[in-house]
Amino acid sequence: MSTAAHVEDPRAAFREITEAVCVAHERPQPPKAWYVAMVISLGMLGVLGVSLIYLFITGVGIWGNNNVTAWGWPIVNFVFWIGIGHAGTLISAILYLMRQQWRTSINRAAEAMTIFAVLCAGLFPIIHTGRPWLAYFMLPLPNDMDMWPQFRSPLMWDVFAVSTYGTTSVLFWYMGMVPDLATFRDRAKNKIAQLAYGILALGWRGSARQWHRYERAYLILAALATPLVLSVHSVVSFDFAVSQVPGWHTTIFPPYFVAGAIFSGFAMVLTLMIPARYLFGLEKVIKKSHIEAMCKITLATGTMVGFAYGIELFIAWYSGSMYEQFAFLNRGLGPYWWAYFLMVTCNVVLPQLFWFKTCRTNPWIIMVLAILVNVGMWFERFVIIVTSLARTMLPAAWSYFSPTLWDAATLIGSFGLFFTLFLLFCRYLPIVAISEVKNTLPEAHAGKH
Amino acid sequence: MSSLGKETKYWRSLAELESSDELDSIVAREFPDQAAELSDPLSRRRFMQLMGASVAFAGVAGVGCRRWEREEIVPLSNRPEDYVPGVNRYFATAMELSGVASGLVVSSFDGRPIKIEGNPEHPFLAGNGPREQGNKRTSGSSSFAQASILGLYDPDRSGSVRRAEGAGSWDDFAALVKDQKIDPSQVRVLSEATSSPTMARLRDELLRRYPSARWYEYDPLTTDNEHLGTKMAFGRPLRPLARLDRSRVIVSLDADLFYFHPAAVRYAGDFAVARDPDSARPMTRLYAIESAFTTTGAKADHRLAVPSSEIGSILAELEGAINGATPKAAGKAGRFISALAEDLRKHRGRSVLVAGSKQPPAVHALVAKINHSLGAVGTTLEYLREPPGPERLSHVESIKSLAADMNAGKVETLLILGGNPVYDAPADVDFAAGLRKVKTSIHLSEHYDETSSTCSWHLPRANYLEAWGDVRAFDGTISIQQPLIEPLWQGKSSIEVLTLFTSGDYGIGRGLVRTTFEAQIARGGDERSRESAWRKALHDGFITGTRYQSVTPSRPGSTPAVAEVPAIGPNNIEVVLTGSSHTYDGRFANNAWLQETPDFMTKLTWDNAALVNPNTADELGIAHGDMIRIRLGSRQVEVPVYTMPGQAKFSIALALGHGRKRAGRVGGSVDDGIEGLGFDGYSLRTSDSMYVATGAAVEMTGASYALVSTQDHWKIDKLGKEGAGGYDDRMPTLIRSCDVDDYQGYKKAKNKDLCFGEGHEVKLPLGDLPGRNRSLWQEHRYDRDQKFRRASDGRTVSRSSLYKWGMAIDLNKCTGCNSCMLACQSENNVPVVGKEQVANSREMHWIRIDRYFTGDDVRDDPRVAYQPLTCQQCENAPCEQVCPVGATIHSREGLNDMVYNRCIGTRYCMNNCPYKVRRFNFLHYQNRPERPGGSLEDARNKVRQLLFNPEVTVRSRGVMEKCTFCVQRIQNKKIVAKNERRSLRDGEIVTACQQACPSDAITFGDLNDPDSQVSKAHKLAQPANNPSGRGYELLRELNNKPRNIFLAEVRNPNTALEPPAGSDSKQSSSHG
Repeated sequence: MSTAAHVEDPRAAFREITEAVCVAHERPQPPKAWYVAMVISLGMLGVLGVSLIYLFITGVGIWGNNNVTAWGWPIVNFVFWIGIGHAGTLISAILYLMRQQWRTSINRAAEAMTIFAVLCAGLFPIIHTGRPWLAYFMLPLPNDMDMWPQFRSPLMWDVFAVSTYGTTSVLFWYMGMVPDLATFRDRAKNKIAQLAYGILALGWRGSARQWHRYERAYLILAALATPLVLSVHSVVSFDFAVSQVPGWHTTIFPPYFVAGAIFSGFAMVLTLMIPARYLFGLEKVIKKSHIEAMCKITLATGTMVGFAYGIELFIAWYSGSMYEQFAFLNRGLGPYWWAYFLMVTCNVVLPQLFWFKTCRTNPWIIMVLAILVNVGMWFERFVIIVTSLARTMLPAAWSYFSPTLWDAATLIGSFGLFFTLFLLFCRYLPIVAISEVKNTLPEAHAGKH
Repeated sequence: MSSLGKETKYWRSLAELESSDELDSIVAREFPDQAAELSDPLSRRRFMQLMGASVAFAGVAGVGCRRWEREEIVPLSNRPEDYVPGVNRYFATAMELSGVASGLVVSSFDGRPIKIEGNPEHPFLAGNGPREQGNKRTSGSSSFAQASILGLYDPDRSGSVRRAEGAGSWDDFAALVKDQKIDPSQVRVLSEATSSPTMARLRDELLRRYPSARWYEYDPLTTDNEHLGTKMAFGRPLRPLARLDRSRVIVSLDADLFYFHPAAVRYAGDFAVARDPDSARPMTRLYAIESAFTTTGAKADHRLAVPSSEIGSILAELEGAINGATPKAAGKAGRFISALAEDLRKHRGRSVLVAGSKQPPAVHALVAKINHSLGAVGTTLEYLREPPGPERLSHVESIKSLAADMNAGKVETLLILGGNPVYDAPADVDFAAGLRKVKTSIHLSEHYDETSSTCSWHLPRANYLEAWGDVRAFDGTISIQQPLIEPLWQGKSSIEVLTLFTSGDYGIGRGLVRTTFEAQIARGGDERSRESAWRKALHDGFITGTRYQSVTPSRPGSTPAVAEVPAIGPNNIEVVLTGSSHTYDGRFANNAWLQETPDFMTKLTWDNAALVNPNTADELGIAHGDMIRIRLGSRQVEVPVYTMPGQAKFSIALALGHGRKRAGRVGGSVDDGIEGLGFDGYSLRTSDSMYVATGAAVEMTGASYALVSTQDHWKIDKLGKEGAGGYDDRMPTLIRSCDVDDYQGYKKAKNKDLCFGEGHEVKLPLGDLPGRNRSLWQEHRYDRDQKFRRASDGRTVSRSSLYKWGMAIDLNKCTGCNSCMLACQSENNVPVVGKEQVANSREMHWIRIDRYFTGDDVRDDPRVAYQPLTCQQCENAPCEQVCPVGATIHSREGLNDMVYNRCIGTRYCMNNCPYKVRRFNFLHYQNRPERPGGSLEDARNKVRQLLFNPEVTVRSRGVMEKCTFCVQRIQNKKIVAKNERRSLRDGEIVTACQQACPSDAITFGDLNDPDSQVSKAHKLAQPANNPSGRGYELLRELNNKPRNIFLAEVRNPNTALEPPAGSDSKQSSSHG
């Protein structure tokens, strides 16, 4: 990592970083584009609100789900969002443990993205149940109704996997933010901000002892979070793999899902960071080289996903089970061939452009590809869930799934929730981990050599 | 019951009590809600009245129900004998359809009838050899009988007397007759077809008293052709009753033996007896010659699809061929006729021909002649003679001459007893126009329908469960139609209204029926013996010895030649009008259960359609779902096309009874702005071509229409059909079938290659490895005495499971008649969801009947297989394992129970069910305003709540449900057995579907009892090392261990038409 180091004043580089991050937060008015984005996001959030109200009044019948395809878009959305929520912790924890220092410029935003995505993801399994007001039946709460969760069900595993992941991510994110919140507190001009950031900073003074404890805790949390990155999506994939639906019942699902999740997570980080970096003038902090590194990971995971698609087809053939064979034939060539085609194109074919450096450095191309990867990954879940269910064992119970407008409204609404939270984050919280970036500067290590 | 000792009028509503229209309107203005409550027949008070009334007659009559005119309702201080609140009681009664009754037993819960079953004791239904189900005899019932209970609680039924000028009352109407405002001597009566002796007695009385009065009878699905045909042959009308159980060869000519035939329930049972491949008796063979698929064609070993109008000439050729001539017809038809003739010759005296009511009288006459020459009479065919009565015109002639008189202004007063002629009379007689010219026209009907709105008077009619009557079964056995409840809507029965004309006052139904009974049946004897005969008749539900006389007519002479018809082809398209499985003839149009039950062949719901052969559709340039205009002379109708495999070429079949305008809020109501369901076939019907019309033309309209069926339309994409592991590959494993010779050979030699061999099993790779089928979990055990190692502590424990419930469904017997579906709907409070929900595969039926087409020539000559599918109650249930809240769990007896209270609706169980038999309440189906007929919350619809079976939870939105093997019936019988300190006997528990099945295709019982019927059936299922028994578990390779097994279909093809399946490859190709 190279920075424009100022030899005369070794603190200047540090100051520059602090300024860059804080100014975006401290200027009296956010850029116009932020307002535009916020209005759009709030509109979409409104759509979510209306959809949920209508949903709770009427029932899950407002969606296209039916007796054959019992899980439709809501579960597609769930898996999609939980996948998005993978990049943050991966960047924060795994790359931290692997000493990938370029991660520091994006890890805060990626973690925030993770938390918001997990929030969106967590919404769907709850609202997709027939009686969401009883969703707490899934929790092992002592009660006088003689009820206890059924731990053989992968959905139970999901409850624990997702809630653990959500909790750890929030802790990790918040803990990492404490020194930066203290910086915000110290620079705050008005009373409310001083008070708010003061409370959030938990009395951080930047003493050596505090730093020591902080570093230890961060390392422990990173070590805790690392297996979670792999476990959450593995567990989510069990929802499918443990069942006996042809097309779901495959052992490749856990690694395949994890790769896909990281893939979509990175694509989403790119989708968010490229405009944010420009809007908030963070080009100096989030460097081109960082973006390029993320493109490389996207390329790698995309290719892994492609490999998984291929293996799936091979195993279906090699299994000799006619149900499996038909399920995969039907995916590629059946009534939903278009979804399969979209999935392969967006997830496997197009990311190959990242082999070329021009594509890895042109923000426009990256942006378009990242969005397409997200589209492709949404369709991957659609293909897995819907095409498998629509044609299972008995041909008499085959049908074609058609979504309703409310399906679309709920999906759009979840994006509204996600973007609204992200925009609020951009405005009110340190979007770059100031202290960590400083730590990677050569100046930070000047005295030790 | 105590009387308070003063003459208090037993009032039925506030309006009646006060006799004040003004008060009514004041109340309505002031308290609109309360007004609805007060006039609501279901207000609590009203319900208590009804209930009390039932209780009252239960206590006094003991055997049945009667109406009590003046009574005070007070709470019971002493419980009447034999009455335990909350315990079902059963009453025998009968339901008449097109003049033929079926004997029924109706359950009554606290005074309200809630479930209908066939009367197992009824001599006609039971046949000669009682069909045993373990120790308990069952007799099936038709889907119409099953659904008729919904009609009783139809909130759209008419509740008041209406006249052209406005509201009226029964007294107003009586005054019309009493004050001589109409001349009863000139009255003309149009009755629906009825076999009621009381009706006949009153008719004769009326005609005796007023010789110038006229009596007409009309039934839109008339079976008169049979009468006319036998009259041609024998000089007098006779009723042929085929003895399918004795037959070796059955030939059905356009007859729907197992659905629309008046004796369908009996025929289905007899056929099942004759088709048992495991009995010593050789199996019968069924040939069907028909234009549109019927249940008969679906079950036939050989089916010839020819236009209905050509069946006469085919029959003539068949007659020739039997006598040794070579048939003129070329190709398949020729081969078919020769082979059939040969088969009939070989089985003289053991074969029978049956012609359907759509065929003209000449065909029936010829059939009678051929049956005679084959020696069928007395063995496989019985002729019954109806008691002599006044010569009646045929239904068509009746309606024609009545309409002609009305149009000529010759009719002053017309009394229409039931029926709906404005809607269902042939279009050319112009009944409606004639009716408007009648000065006083009176319509007695359950609904204010098309005819009522054209008449000057409308009288609400009592449902058959509300009124006394007497009716005759197909063989003439008389049943007393015993009411179970006071009329909900102040209706009166036909005989009660008719008495007004014969004797000047409304009759009391019970008295009228009793009078007939004493005059005609219990003649002589003292009062005590007559009373006990009456009680016995009510108790049994039939009167023995009242069967029509069986006669042996002499050999018919020459019969008129069957009319030659110009060949059916693109320029001469045939239209065949059939009954509707949804509405019968239109009368059940407001019955949402029937409307939502998929048709036995098309699987269409909520609609009818023009059935067109797929190749014909290609030739005519029309496609499935296109709206076409069928022109027939000056008449035309616009209908959507349903391309139906196996439909005769250039013959279009259209079900009558749809497109109603005033059926009610389900079937279509002009007043409520609700469009009719489906398309009105009657607009094409003329009196000279009641069923079959030729010379039709088809035009495109350019529009298309969304037809909704519960199953994929037969035309699936190429990949789905032929792709690896697709439809064709799966069919032999899902529907096992083999030829009877192979099956017998297999049974003798245990040579599994003969049938159900390789191609019928899904072999999963590594499937044979030891331990492949081991469960992840410790499996449940259900054997009577068992010892097993407990996983938790490794100790050996012993446990005893008393019962192990299991089911077996015999595909060989199932005719796809839908009775089980309706019985289940009725028993288990299964909601109706409406067309748009069915379109999205959200129908709620707990049992469904999958219909598959197979064969090499699916378009022109498919074979049909039915597979009733309900929860298989897997021992290793995939649904249970994935439920996060334990809402679906196993009982100790091996039932896969649903705990509705726990269910939160994740629907994971539904995904993991390979049979797709779970049903989810995506919406609040009972309380949706969009639901056909409206929400249950609607004040008008509260009456529907009375129908619910109180023993089955009414499920709310967001909850999963599915078949429970009628767990409430199991528990009830277990309680009885426990009280009697014994274990349950085989056959004591009968599930709703099993009880309704006319062909006994469903067996249920305890698998721990090695002698139970169901255990015997399960023994036909393969042990693990012999995968070739007749019994098989569906999707066995998944190791779900279903508790239901299917018994494979065993066919009996004629080797002359179908070379025996020598090799396995031939065999599997013949399946698909």
